[in-house]
Amino acid sequence: MMRMKQIVAFGGGGFSMESGNPLLDDYVMGLTGSAEPKVCFLPTASGDADHYLVRFYSAFRERAKPSHISFFRRERGVPDVRSHLLAQDMIYVGGGSLLSLLGVWRAHGVDEILREAWESGVVMCGLSAGSLCWFSEAVSGYHGEVNRVDGLGFLSHSNAVHYCEGDRRAAFHKNLLDGMAHGYAAEDGAALRFVGDELVEVVSSRPEARAYRLERRANLVRETRLATRYLGADAVPPVLPVSFDQQVAA
Amino acid sequence: MELAESTHPRICLLPTASGDMHDQISNFHRSFGERDCHPSSISLFRLGIDRVDVREHLMAQDVIYAGGGSMVNLIAIWRAHGLDAILREAWEEGILICGQSAGAMCWFEQGITSSSGEPAPAEGLGLLPGSACVHYLSEPQRRRRFMGEIGARGMLAGLGMEDQTGALFEGGRMIESIVAREGAAVWRVEPGGNGDGAAIEERLDSRRLEDVRPTGADALSAEILEFRETLAARTASHRTRRGVGRLD
Repeated sequence: MMRMKQIVAFGGGGFSMESGNPLLDDYVMGLTGSAEPKVCFLPTASGDADHYLVRFYSAFRERAKPSHISFFRRERGVPDVRSHLLAQDMIYVGGGSLLSLLGVWRAHGVDEILREAWESGVVMCGLSAGSLCWFSEAVSGYHGEVNRVDGLGFLSHSNAVHYCEGDRRAAFHKNLLDGMAHGYAAEDGAALRFVGDELVEVVSSRPEARAYRLERRANLVRETRLATRYLGADAVPPVLPVSFDQQVAA
Repeated sequence: MELAESTHPRICLLPTASGDMHDQISNFHRSFGERDCHPSSISLFRLGIDRVDVREHLMAQDVIYAGGGSMVNLIAIWRAHGLDAILREAWEEGILICGQSAGAMCWFEQGITSSSGEPAPAEGLGLLPGSACVHYLSEPQRRRRFMGEIGARGMLAGLGMEDQTGALFEGGRMIESIVAREGAAVWRVEPGGNGDGAAIEERLDSRRLEDVRPTGADALSAEILEFRETLAARTASHRTRRGVGRLD
C-alpha cells in the first residue's frame, strides 16, 4: 500500500514550547497509524543541545519508540543514517537556527534522505526552524533581520512561524509583494497539516491559536484566517475563515 | 596571545564546530577570563536569543579562535551564514586567526575529519595551501587515511599535527611549527617519489613553547620579537595575513 506523504508544520508548540500540553505531538503521532510509533528526533537546528534531547526523551519515552540523530557527534549513535530514518514512523525536527540546520543537512546528504522518507510515508513534523525547512521559501527572524531563506522545497509554498510577533508579519507581507511564493503563516500553538503539497487541516493546541493563508493580489496582500480545529477537550467556538486585504504603503 | 598586536587583545571564540556546546564556551571563558584580554564568543545556533552583528563583531577582534568539533558541519554552517567570506576578509585585514582540531584544519584546503564516523577527507576554506590532519598520532586511523590519500594523490600534501602542536602561517607561508609538549611533533607529509602510492613523512623541527604567563617583552622569544617587527613594518602600509594552526 502506498502511504501518504505528510508534513505537519507547527508555528510553535509541542514538547519544545508547551511543556504539559501534548496535543500537537499526540496529533502527529495519531497520523502515523501506529500505536507506539518509532519517532526520530533531529535536534540539528539547536546544535544538538543536550537539554533538548533530554526533553524529547522525557516527552516521548512512554508513548513511542524514541531515538535521535546527532550530526555533531556522529562517532556515537546510529551507524547508518539513511536506513534508520527510512525505518521511522515519524521524524520530528526541532527548532533553532534554520541556516545552520539546512547547511548541516545538505553537507551530510540528509536533505535527500528526508525526501525519500517523506515520499515513502514517514510523517514529518517540526516547529519553528523545523517547520520552515519543509517549504520552498521561509521568512525567518532568527538571525536578526527577518529574511527570506530557501528551504528544502518539499512544499511549494512559503512559510512563517511564531506569526504573532509583529516584524515577521510585516516581513512576510513585504516578501510576498517582492515575489515570494504564496504561503501559510502559523502562530504558536497552531499547526498546518499537508498531504502531498496540499493543506488539508489546521489544528491547534490552544483555543486562541490561529493560522493564515497569504497571497499577493496586485499590490495587496490578502491574508485569510483559516478554519482551525482545537485539539483539546473543552468546547470552543469554531474558528471560521475570514479574509482581509492589506494595502501596503508604497 | 603573544602574537596579537594588542596588550589587551579582543579574542572571539567561534564554537560552531561543536554545535555551540556549552562546555566549550565556558572552558574558553574560564581560561581567557583569567588573562589580560577581552574574550567573547558568537553562537550561530543561538542568534535568535543572543542578537549580534556577526560581521561587525568579528572585524573588531584582534584574534578569532575556532573551536573543535565536526569539520564538515563547521564549513557547512559558516557557508550558510556567509562566515566564509567574513573570515577571509578578517584574515586579509590582519586579524590573527587560530583554532584547534576542526578549528585548525578548516583554514587549509583539505583536512581529515571524523564528522561522519570514519576518518575521511573534507574540504576546508582554503586560506592556507595544502592539507592538514590533527590528532596525528593519538588517532592512528586518521593518520592512516591521511597518508593513504596523500600517497594516492587523492589529497594535497600537508601537515600531520600531533596533539599540543601548532603551526604559524603568514599569508600562505609557514613560519614555524611549535609544540607545547616535549616529544610532540608536526610532520610534513608528501607523496613518495617512486610511484608506489606511499606517502613520506618528515618530522619538522619545532620550537618548544614554555608556559610563561604573563609575559613581558623581555620574556618573548627572538622569533616572536622578529615576527612582531616584521608585522609592525608591514602594518604601516597593509596589515599582514596571519594564521596559527592548532594548539591543543
